[in-house]
Amino acid sequence: MPFSTLFGRFQKVLALNNQVLDLIANMGTKLGGNYVFDQHYIHTACDQLSDLVKQLIYNLDAMAPRKYLGLYDVFRDINHEIEEELAGKLVIPKTDYTMPYEFISRDFGDVVGAKNANLAEIKNLLGLAVPEGFAITTRSFQSFLEYNGLQEKIFETIATWQKGDLSSEGAGAKIGDLIMAGAVPPALAKAVENAVAALYLEAEDKEGCLALRSSATGEDTEMSFAGQYLSLLNEPRERVLDGYKAILAGTYSGLALEYRRQKGFAENEVAMAMGCQLMIDAKVSGVLYTLDPRSPEREVMVLTATWGLGAPVVAGEVKADQYAVERKPPHPVSAMDIVRKEKQLSPKTGGGTRFRAVEADLRAKSALTEDQIGGIAEAGLLIERHFKKPQDIEWALDPEGRLFVLQARPLNIKAQVAEMLCDISSILKSYPIIFENQGTVAQEGIGAGKVFLVKSEEELDAFPQGAILVCRYTSPRLAKVIRKANAVITDIGSATGHMATICREFHVPAIINTGVATRRLHSGQEVTVDARQNVVYAGVVKALCYFEFAEEAFEETYEYRLLRRVLKRIAPLNFLDPSDKDFVPSACRTFHDITRFVHEKAVQQLIHMEYANQRRSLTGGRKLKFNVPLALVLIDIGGGLAPSADDDTVEQKEVVSVPMRAFLEGLAVPGAWNTEPISIDFGGFMSSLTRTFSLKVASPKFVGQNLAVVSKEYANISLHLGYHFNMIDAYASENTNDNYAYFRFLGGVTDITRRSRRAMLLADILAGNDFRTDVRGDLVVARIKKLDIEGMKRTMRLLGLLVAYSRQLDIKMLSEQEMKRSIEEFNGFKNAHHDSRGL
Amino acid sequence: MDEKRKTTILVLDDETIVLKRLRPALEKAGYEVEVFSRSSEAMARIMDKDFDIVITDLKMQGLDGMQFLTMVKQGSPKTEVIVITGFATMETAKESFQKGVFDFLAKPFKLAEIQEIVKKAEAKILQGELL
Repeated sequence: MPFSTLFGRFQKVLALNNQVLDLIANMGTKLGGNYVFDQHYIHTACDQLSDLVKQLIYNLDAMAPRKYLGLYDVFRDINHEIEEELAGKLVIPKTDYTMPYEFISRDFGDVVGAKNANLAEIKNLLGLAVPEGFAITTRSFQSFLEYNGLQEKIFETIATWQKGDLSSEGAGAKIGDLIMAGAVPPALAKAVENAVAALYLEAEDKEGCLALRSSATGEDTEMSFAGQYLSLLNEPRERVLDGYKAILAGTYSGLALEYRRQKGFAENEVAMAMGCQLMIDAKVSGVLYTLDPRSPEREVMVLTATWGLGAPVVAGEVKADQYAVERKPPHPVSAMDIVRKEKQLSPKTGGGTRFRAVEADLRAKSALTEDQIGGIAEAGLLIERHFKKPQDIEWALDPEGRLFVLQARPLNIKAQVAEMLCDISSILKSYPIIFENQGTVAQEGIGAGKVFLVKSEEELDAFPQGAILVCRYTSPRLAKVIRKANAVITDIGSATGHMATICREFHVPAIINTGVATRRLHSGQEVTVDARQNVVYAGVVKALCYFEFAEEAFEETYEYRLLRRVLKRIAPLNFLDPSDKDFVPSACRTFHDITRFVHEKAVQQLIHMEYANQRRSLTGGRKLKFNVPLALVLIDIGGGLAPSADDDTVEQKEVVSVPMRAFLEGLAVPGAWNTEPISIDFGGFMSSLTRTFSLKVASPKFVGQNLAVVSKEYANISLHLGYHFNMIDAYASENTNDNYAYFRFLGGVTDITRRSRRAMLLADILAGNDFRTDVRGDLVVARIKKLDIEGMKRTMRLLGLLVAYSRQLDIKMLSEQEMKRSIEEFNGFKNAHHDSRGL
Repeated sequence: MDEKRKTTILVLDDETIVLKRLRPALEKAGYEVEVFSRSSEAMARIMDKDFDIVITDLKMQGLDGMQFLTMVKQGSPKTEVIVITGFATMETAKESFQKGVFDFLAKPFKLAEIQEIVKKAEAKILQGELL
């Protein structure tokens, strides 16, 4: 293949690469809540993206014919999954058979069912105790049905029932029998056995039994499915597979079939997962409604409690104490009804449960103390704020009095609230506005409470639950109290900083960079923060909080979930290291992976051709001999390198390409190439934010190859420094109108916050030098056009200096202060060399 | 204008997500908002009542939004129409403006953008009434 053809393809790959990454980033920003988008948008964007990625693969195939055919297969698979999602079909992910709670978040609803997903999120993010356990995934459900050839039989039975030829009880019993007669596939049985063994390894009580709880997809969301499915309490560990079958059978009970029909839930949308938990030997159990659904305006929670296990409270089989608890901390009890509790449900030794008489002296006694009530209420509000809806929570206290959350689901109060709020805007008018439209909304939502103004770190220990955190700067140290805050307001800070990341993680409404917060607000003052409209009201605007409760949260809308689900197959970048043996087409899981793979291989293809041919006359490629440790190969496509005696190498002075020469001058500025070893600090609170970050990729070694394709007036430079992917494309000629420089920076070791901060630093510097700059997460794109040739040289020197300087910067980027210091340091370099090098 | 009377807005879009997002935002900003996902129902409503502002999608099942906005303008020339569309082309934009729409916004858009446009439309209506 002639080099010009190959190079044409290479340029096409670069252009497509940029378009794909732009589009992915754009789709990601739509999840932020500022945008109104619809299904049409999701479909159009996915179509566009699919087309671009396909073109990328074609172009790589043209550069390296038939070498990466596996890309077509992974593309087809990923694209098919996206199409299935868009068509509204349930895509059961190809996951493991079981998943420990530690690895589950609410995004895994379709893998582990809603109940497991919510519970794991409560444990992992909110730090509340839930029973130790794991989930048996929906994939297990699917393979059980497949292994026993049950899918068609079930659908036939359902069809007969839908026609009215079979009662719902009859259909339920028939399907139930089929499932109970089925065998658990050996691989699944083995996986469950291993997971149970792992669970007991950590268990305090090795003889204890298990709670097996149904967890279906779609459950506990808008549709509660409360009490529709089966849960088994106190099952001996050897009965876990029988219990599993019983729970699968319960998916199709007459009750459940009827409920789904009434709610319009399609039968093919159903997939059952199961939670397998260590049984909590509850001393007291009950239910908390974080808002009284009968009269929400009373601002109280409704708490019921009884001795023993909680199942009969939910089912209404035993009498329970009832407390009205104020929502305001410290949550005093405003009314209580202590009943005589004659019997309680208790675990039987060896498995199962039985009713027994309550001990005589406990019968008339309140099942909860004031302290316990406060603790349950506090946990309830934490969960409510996180899921943005009043909650219906099942809880238990173990014999030591430790609180466990057993289940949490949204409480539907729409109808009641609609009556209360006939006219929200006139209610709002009666509250004075302290300030509005100052700063940036980092996390949407509404939060009300007393201001707690933080001036020093020592004060943080006194931060009360449910207060509004107001401070001048954002700081990582604040992370420890954010969980307790109802909202956060700062004077200074950026939307990509630490604080914003943490607020988003914990769903705490936040307005940052207001400039005025610490001057206009004082400790103890009651305010309501509307981090949707960006307004801070004086006083607690209850109506606004309820208005928020009644609205379907943006995160709960079908469109949000759909976009998030398709993005899971698009946006994550799973591999970074091209020297890894897993860097193969079949390892691509997302469109981003494919894009990254194609880009890397396109660069390699050029270099490969170079080495394979060893003919300078064809490509002119040579290794740069340079005073900085950068392994760079230059390929000349016309007048970019001066002829030399040595075919394999090129001296810096022999680089005559205008943009490349200037770039190397910047790169070689003394002291800019930071080679001091930098330790990576993964300790402290940062590690809590890097759950998805694999330490495997943390060793900062050389990655990929560095390549520049140059001509007299052109340079395309692909660099892999540390784990940054850096691309610079520039044209510098006497014709000012044609001149441009394009700079793109992506990736990097360390967590997203530090990466984002580095991105902000680069963006600040570039914008300060007249680039049109765009930052999305850790992606920086900067463009500059139509400079005269001297301006272009200055620009390329600046970029060289910037690349050298920022090589390992993210590892240093611990704080915003350091970021500012780095900008100053960089400007110092720039100015110091201004006279001598024309920077 | 009677100070107590709220500016009335009708929103028509066959994708309910747009209505779900716009209605609470506009209500909080003090507007009286009615939303429709079916054009036939929206059509029936504008026969009954003149709205100050109409926000409509352009391409929906069963009815061309262009037809709808033509009817709105015919029935109530003072109504300001804001077009929101996921199929933004120069042609549709041009045609919309020829039909006298107040502004044209491509989907997806930011909540702040539509609120800004609604404010401007409201200002124009107020000015018209003062003259």
